[in-house]
Parts: sequence; C-alpha cells; structure tokens
Amino acid sequence: MNKRVKRGYLQISFAWMFAIIVGAFILFLAIYFATKLVNTEEKVLDLKTGKEIGILLNPIETSVESVKLTTLTFPKETRIYGGCDDNYGFFGKQLIQISQKGFNNQWTETEIDGSKTVSFQNKYIFTEDYTEGKKFYILSKPFNFPFKIADLIYITSSSDSYCFLEPPDDIKEQISDLKQPNLLLEGNCTGSKEEIRVCFDTGGDCDMAVYYDFDYVEKKGKRMVFKDDALMYAAIFSKPETYECQVKRLMQRTGQLASLYKDKALFVSQKGCDSNLDLLGLINMINENYENSNNLEIIKNKADKIEEDNDYSSCRLW
Amino acid sequence: MQAMVNKMRGKKGQLKTKKTGSFLAFNCLKSKKAQLKIQQMAFMLMAVTLFFALVGMFVLAIKFSGLKETAATLCEENAMMLVTKLANSPEFSCGEAFDGETNCIDGDKIMMLKENIDAYEDFWGASNIEIRKIYPAEAEKVCDIGTYQGGDCNTIRLISKNVSGFDDKYNFVSLCRKEYIDGDMYDKCEIARLSVRYNYNERC
Repeated sequence: MNKRVKRGYLQISFAWMFAIIVGAFILFLAIYFATKLVNTEEKVLDLKTGKEIGILLNPIETSVESVKLTTLTFPKETRIYGGCDDNYGFFGKQLIQISQKGFNNQWTETEIDGSKTVSFQNKYIFTEDYTEGKKFYILSKPFNFPFKIADLIYITSSSDSYCFLEPPDDIKEQISDLKQPNLLLEGNCTGSKEEIRVCFDTGGDCDMAVYYDFDYVEKKGKRMVFKDDALMYAAIFSKPETYECQVKRLMQRTGQLASLYKDKALFVSQKGCDSNLDLLGLINMINENYENSNNLEIIKNKADKIEEDNDYSSCRLW
Repeated sequence: MQAMVNKMRGKKGQLKTKKTGSFLAFNCLKSKKAQLKIQQMAFMLMAVTLFFALVGMFVLAIKFSGLKETAATLCEENAMMLVTKLANSPEFSCGEAFDGETNCIDGDKIMMLKENIDAYEDFWGASNIEIRKIYPAEAEKVCDIGTYQGGDCNTIRLISKNVSGFDDKYNFVSLCRKEYIDGDMYDKCEIARLSVRYNYNERC
C-alpha cells in the first residue's frame, strides 16, 4: 500500500514538475521577447525622432534673413546627440541621435554612428556633446565665405542658460533682437551656478572666453578660431571637436561651391559676363592649407579679396 | 481486470503480468495513464507555445508594415520640406547675381551643377530634382549645355533616378539666366516648377 501511495505521489509531482519547467520556459520566452520588443520600439522611436528633427530643420534655412529662431518641444525628457564625420564623401555628414527616457526612467542607449543614428550631408549642427531637456531652441544663421556656404544651426536646451558678459555692442544688439529666452545679457543673468558664463575679451570666472577682436574662443583649454559672427556663435554653442569637424566640412563645401562658381564664370563669360575672380586660388588654398580652424585666417584673406572683386564686378557671380 | 490489462498490453505485457501478478499490472496501468497525461500536457503546452508564437509573428508583421509606412511618410515629409527651401540653398539660389529676385534659381549655376552632379548625388536625399519652365506650355525638352545655350529646352533634370509610384512635391520659383542679345547682356527670368521626388527603397 505504501508503495502505491509513493508511486502516486511521484506521478503527480512529475506532472507538476514538467508543467512548472515548461511553463517557466514559456514565461521566460514571453518576457524575453516582450523586453526585446519594448527595446526595439524605443529604438524605432528614437530613430524616427532623429529623422524628424533633421526634416524639421529644413524650413529653418534662411533666404534673405540674417538669423532665424524656432523651438522644438518633446513630450518627454530628451537628449539630442550631435555628431560629425568629415571623412564621408565630398561633404562629410552630420549625425543626429536621440535618447529619451524609457518606461523604467532610464535613458535609451546611444552609440553615435550606430544603428540609431540618422545622418544628413546638407546640415551643419553645432551643439555640445548632447543637449538635454524637453524644449530646445534652434537658431540658424547663414555662413558666407565669401558666398553663402550653408546655414549653421545651433541647438540649445531651454534648461541651459548662457550669460553673455560685456559683449561688443553689435553682439549685444543681435542677442537682444533675437529674444531667445536662454540667451541672457549681463543685466538679466541670474548668477546661478548652472548658468554658462560667456566672457568677452576677458578670462576671469567664465566657462569660455570670446576674444572678439582676435577672432577666437577659448573653451575647455582649446582655442577655436572664427572669422565671422556665425562661426563665433558656433564656437560658443558647440564642443571644440564638433566645431573643428564642422568647420572642416564647411571648407569642403566651400571648395565645391568655388568650383561651381568657377565653371559658371567660364560659362557666362561666353555671354559677355566677365568676372575675373581667383576662385581657383581659393580652391587650391583650401585643399593645401586647411587642417583646422587656425588656418582660417589665411583663407579668409583670400575670400575677402574675392568678395570685394565680385561686389565691384559688372557681372556678379553670386 | 487481468484480462483487460492483457488485452491492452499485448503479448509482452501478458508475459510480464504473468510473472509479476495482478498488483504490478494495476501499477502499470496507472503509469500508462500518467504517461498519457504527460503527453496530453506536453501537447497542450506545445499548442500554447505555438499559439503565442503565431500571435507574436502576427503582431510583428503588423508592426513592421507600419514601420515601412512611417519610413515612407518621413521620406515624403522630407521631400515636401526640402522643396520649400531648396531654392535658397547656395547651389541653387541666385544670391545677388540677379536684381531683386526672391525664391530664385540661377539657371547658369544649375547647368554647371548638372555637369558635376556626382558629388551631390546623395547630398539632399532626393532621388529626383527637376526644374521645368511652365510657360509657354510645350512638350518636354530636356536641357543639355547645347540646348540650354540656345534656349531650346524647358526641363533641367538635375538628379534623375528611376522612381515610380510617388507624387512630385513641387514649388514655384523664378528661373533666371544671363542672356546676351545684340551686344547687350540682360537678366532673363521665367516662372518654373521645382519638383522633388524620393525613392521609397533608398534612405531619404
């Protein structure tokens, strides 16, 4: 009788064991695939948002305006990562990646130039490694060298305030006209530790120093040379590595555009439209001399001369 | 009972039963029942797993078809946004080369761009970029350098890949060029349609 009871127990416990093991396996599979699906969904959303940002940046290209401002608001906390690749094709590429807080309040994973990164060859975004917040200000300013090269885009978070200390009058006027709430002039700065202090022509207790008369910005121990206001803002709002990479891409485009204008000059000269501009000299100078922003000075001199010649030409090329 | 067990188990079982007696035969029957139960449960579990796998595959199929639509919508959106601002990009715009024109495309520059389009093939993320004069309404004559100089064409195909099934996104622009007649040079501007199309299968 005892034997019979024992066997009965064995039979039931085996069935239960079997059910538990297989059940656990099924549950494990279900949870595993559900987690995978959620991760994939988050990745898709990040990718989609990144692409949308790139697309939404199209309308902020300037035509006759000197500057354009727009805002971008996300429903949840978002990080916008900006990357730059200056070795891709003829123009390099702008990389954008988005990371948002997931359902467990963790940032979704990021790997710039990874599977979630979207890229654009015709965009130049200047930003810190990443900017974080729900609301972002997108400022766009044309860069001319000597002809229009591109619209430079600066992305800042509404939670990052920049305090401009003792800027020159024209910069003061530009910032004041812009009415971008996170760009503050001296009188409006709060003095809080989170504020990013931008000093003009003085070092002192600042996060960066802009030597406006000497055309360079010093930030994190690195010097970024600029040649006009558009590049100065670019140096202020971006990390030094991004700045150097984007300026190199801008020089690549300058070379291509100079080549286009050189061909156009030859083409329209057949119609009696003469313009003796040394565009070939500019192309050679960029190809031979440009390594980093320190070389902008010499190229700028050439560009200025070409601009002057074009302005006085009876037949303007641009 | 014994007879029933023997009937169920066949000859081999019969032999065993004979050896071990009725008590063991009863246990064997119970064990057989347990095996049957396990088999039933195994089939049931397999069916449940299969059911969830099928449901999962179905959900994924719906999800990915949605994803393709999203990608297509984003490409379309890109084309739409691009066409509104393309005329202002440095490769297209007139700048100050022509008097007081806004939303103006420099035809001479565009023809030079067409000759060196390789560098710009993927620059705007569009598969087709075309500029077509809309007046006078004539049959399509595609421009090359020769026909453009003679003014004997009305369509500049800047980038043209094989794309089908998608509508053009277009915008109206001034298409300007330098003309030279009787020793005088002048600006000739005509109204044109700038259209952009994207390829569904490529990254836009």
